[in-house]
Amino acid sequence: MTREDPVKHFFLWPAVLVVLAIAIFPLIYSLANSFMSLRLVPPRPAKFVGFENYIDLISNERFWQVVQTTSLIAFTSVAFQFAIGFAIALALVKKVKGADFFRISFLLPMLVAPVAVALIAKQILNPTMGPLNQFTSLFGYTNLPYLTEANWALGSLIAVEIWQWTPFVVLLLLAGLQGMPEDVYEAAELENASPWSQFWGITFPMMLPISAAVIFIRIVESFKIMDTVFVMTGGGPGIATETLSLFAYQEGFKKFNLGYTSALSFLFLFVVLAMSMIYLAILKPYLEKYK
Amino acid sequence: MSVRDLRGVRRHWVFMCCLLWFAFSMFPLYWVAITSFKRPVDVVGGPTYLPFVDFQPTLKAWTDLFSGIRGEFFSNFWSSTIVALSAAVIATVIGTMAAYALVRFTFRVRLLSGIAFFIVAMGGFLFGREVLGVSPGLASIVAFCIALALSIFINRYRLPGPVLGNDDIVFWFVSQRLFPPIVVAFALFLLYTEMGKLGFKMTDTYFGLTLAYVAFSLPIVIWLMRDFIASLPIDVEEAAMVDNVPTWRIFFGIVLPMSKPGLIATFVITLAFVWNEFLFALFLTNSKWQTLPILVAGQNSQRGDEWWAISAAALVAILPMILIAGLLGRMMRSGLLAGAVK
Repeated sequence: MTREDPVKHFFLWPAVLVVLAIAIFPLIYSLANSFMSLRLVPPRPAKFVGFENYIDLISNERFWQVVQTTSLIAFTSVAFQFAIGFAIALALVKKVKGADFFRISFLLPMLVAPVAVALIAKQILNPTMGPLNQFTSLFGYTNLPYLTEANWALGSLIAVEIWQWTPFVVLLLLAGLQGMPEDVYEAAELENASPWSQFWGITFPMMLPISAAVIFIRIVESFKIMDTVFVMTGGGPGIATETLSLFAYQEGFKKFNLGYTSALSFLFLFVVLAMSMIYLAILKPYLEKYK
Repeated sequence: MSVRDLRGVRRHWVFMCCLLWFAFSMFPLYWVAITSFKRPVDVVGGPTYLPFVDFQPTLKAWTDLFSGIRGEFFSNFWSSTIVALSAAVIATVIGTMAAYALVRFTFRVRLLSGIAFFIVAMGGFLFGREVLGVSPGLASIVAFCIALALSIFINRYRLPGPVLGNDDIVFWFVSQRLFPPIVVAFALFLLYTEMGKLGFKMTDTYFGLTLAYVAFSLPIVIWLMRDFIASLPIDVEEAAMVDNVPTWRIFFGIVLPMSKPGLIATFVITLAFVWNEFLFALFLTNSKWQTLPILVAGQNSQRGDEWWAISAAALVAILPMILIAGLLGRMMRSGLLAGAVK
């Protein structure tokens, strides 16, 4: 039911005003800046340059490498998060022994500040005095370069992302699994369907819309990754683990190249939007099939 | 026991796997906890695992932390607490109000007036700065106000083009989460600095940081609370309306008390989000209102490998969230969050 009452504006407007002023207006401001050549250090007066900043960026190899790194971290970690998270959510909904206890403890990583997680990871991954080094030395591998060699550093970052965000997948998928009707499974049980075929025939298709949403949220959020990288590797070695947010931060806060940074932020936004569109387009037929 | 439950050998296998994951997800937290009680020699000399067995615990790192030798710890802790609590309260209240309005009333926004806002705000800002030579801060305030007034004004008329309804407004709110925060954080830093030149100090103030957090929590609050309010029975409200109870009293007297579980869940999620947030704090604060994540992140670069001290600082940031995990786990059990994922 909807009704009419002028007071409705007093309910909606505070939220709209805050978002307009603090989220939308800066966006417009930064879009305006992105067409300018604007520098604070050394100070250079604003000059309209059109799309020059954008063209500079697109032809900058570093930008494409950063996009690649970010996508690699985002897609790989989300794939693992989803697979592991689904398995855990299934175990919890099927009332594994100690499910109540596991449920609370599995949530925990998600709520730890990413900077704290990064610092803990740095201790554990320390190549000489960390516990992981001691563990791998049992197998004869000592002093592996967890954070100082490009591929190892990427792997470490992905592992940390998986550790931290699998709980989020568990949280949402568990809520979805709990809401599934019981009678479908009873019918399947009567026909002696194996658990394997029950999963692929019932659970997975019915969970598809929630799964799609969870993966979408996680990929969008993973693209924003910054705190973990900032503390763990600082983008290094070289720029091997530099992500889009970190690149923008370096350009903006270290070089104070405002026009360039604004253009970079918009390209970043564009990358995320393009990805979302492709994702939704690929998914649409499947979602409709199972509706 | 339902047919979906595990039976027999399989049950034990799954239990073992869960234990494995438990070990994986808990070990880092265990590690940071014990490291904060280690003496330097026990850290540098290679990994040690069990207190009293292979190292002698000490409170040194903690007394150092609380005596303030290692930076303005208390100041950071308080600013984190104050900002997180107030941002979560404000966002939950105004977000719930907006969610209520979006569920119970109809809104119509013409797309054209939205576009007008965009064009006038951007054009006005550029015009003011480039042509009239006004300072960027003043130009942006004036452009914002004119654009807002104009778009509200023209929304009254029958403009051509599509009309957006409540669902579109919700989508508009939620789509804010799609934007990489660095886009806005950087622009916000510049705008705050310009405001500072006009005499309103925004960077490194309580007001500036809280406002930014409120804006960025609102999408989640509106998303969660809209589903919750939509699931509330409407008869009570209708009965109150028959008695001519004003809407604001219906909201504060009936709707808010009824949505208490949803409010708690939303508040807790927002609180966790703000407490852990790093990027905005990094951009918008520099000394007085710096939050805990900034302090924690700076530990390593300032002091190198003093892991015992770093661990103690990190634990202070982690501990309140452990309480929150307990709360959330309970809510999950009662299926309270089930509505949010639909």
